[in-house]
Amino acid sequence: MASTVMASSSSSATCQFLCNGRRTGHPSTIPLIPKVVVMAAKSDSRRTATTNKTSFHRRLLDSLPQKAGAIVAAAAVAASPLPALAEQMEKASLFDFNLTLPAIAVEFLLLMVALDKLYFTPLGKFMDERDAAIRRKLGDVKDTSGEVKQLEEQAAAVMRAARAEISAALNKMKKETSAELEQKLAEGRKRVEAELAEALQNLEKQKEQTIKALDSQIAALSDEIVKKVLPTA
Amino acid sequence: MNVIPCSIKTLKGLYDISGVEVGQHFYWQIGGLQIHAQVLITSWVVIAILLGSVIIAVRNPQTIPTDGQNFFEYVLEFIRDLSKTQIGEEYGPWVPFIGTMFLFIFVSNWSGALLPWKIIQLPHGELAAPTNDINTTVALALPTSAAYFYAGLTKKGLGYFGKYIQPTPILLPINILEDFTKPLSLSFRLFGNILADELVVVVLVSLVPSVVPIPVMLLGLFTSGIQALIFATLAAAYIGESMEGHH
Repeated sequence: MASTVMASSSSSATCQFLCNGRRTGHPSTIPLIPKVVVMAAKSDSRRTATTNKTSFHRRLLDSLPQKAGAIVAAAAVAASPLPALAEQMEKASLFDFNLTLPAIAVEFLLLMVALDKLYFTPLGKFMDERDAAIRRKLGDVKDTSGEVKQLEEQAAAVMRAARAEISAALNKMKKETSAELEQKLAEGRKRVEAELAEALQNLEKQKEQTIKALDSQIAALSDEIVKKVLPTA
Repeated sequence: MNVIPCSIKTLKGLYDISGVEVGQHFYWQIGGLQIHAQVLITSWVVIAILLGSVIIAVRNPQTIPTDGQNFFEYVLEFIRDLSKTQIGEEYGPWVPFIGTMFLFIFVSNWSGALLPWKIIQLPHGELAAPTNDINTTVALALPTSAAYFYAGLTKKGLGYFGKYIQPTPILLPINILEDFTKPLSLSFRLFGNILADELVVVVLVSLVPSVVPIPVMLLGLFTSGIQALIFATLAAAYIGESMEGHH
């Protein structure tokens, strides 16, 4: 009987403590009190079990301790998560710095070196080289376009030279033909002039002859005129 | 008497939620010092993933890249771009640092969201993204601080410390404070985001096991990527800041 009273009182006490613990939210009080309570409850149940076996009034007493046992079990269930929770809350350490920090730092530095050797440097170098190669090829393409331009210029120069040659030849021919023509013209003019001069000379000669002939005829004519004008003088 | 089952139920519920196991660690003892084994194990997996994929994809680079090589070339271009915009023309030597930072954080975060770590049971604690442990994020933030000090000192010598009295000497305490807030904000931002993300997913999954957590998981993937980007960008920005000439 005493044990049942104790158990029930302890369980109610548990409840009270639980409520208190939860209400006050004082984590340090939680793990201590329920543990004690549970231990007490457990020892109680053991004691009741032993006394049950030795008791004469089994039936009478059986029912009560069983109840008490159930209550104790319930109390134990109620209490058992609590120490665990409290323990966790006590040990829940978000901000405990320990060897993990330097370990991770060293790991990070090693990872940096490894990634640098395996990834950043080789792939970066490879990409830079490829960039350079592409740029060079583009440059080459630009160079060939320059060559094409040069060739075009050359062709243009050749064309210009040819044109100049042709025009020179043309000019020369023109000059030659014109000179020939002029010569022929001059020759023709000379001949014409010579013939003209000859003809003029001939005319002059004829004129002189005619004048001479006229001179010789003038006396006879004047005589005849005088005879006619002067009536028989 | 009625109070007990009720309290049991509520406690069971609390216990179930606390099954999220915040701040639970699987400890190894090395030379009398404690170490978070779950962080180490997951970080090894992350490193193995990184090195393995890199070795497979970049082992024999082709002029016309294959799929894997193409992807890693894209990643490298991305990292180079990021470093160049933050650091400037002298970004070359910092690419491995920034790149490793980005890749390690990114793969860590995504491993927490995508790899089924929970299949593997640990005696205590559970496997999750390495970045949801403050040790990891501080271990990444402190080298960043060292890196920008190194960058500034090699670039400008002791003249680097002139920046502390730069606009006016009145700002000296604030400038010194900045050196502490930078790693602090870096580490806590990453830690808080990843931890919160995993907690939200786990709690939602425990409450509503189907469809509902999926958008949150997708959001988690998104924030994980963003956090990796932010960490790498800020690291590069700090390095660039300490290298640039101030007037």
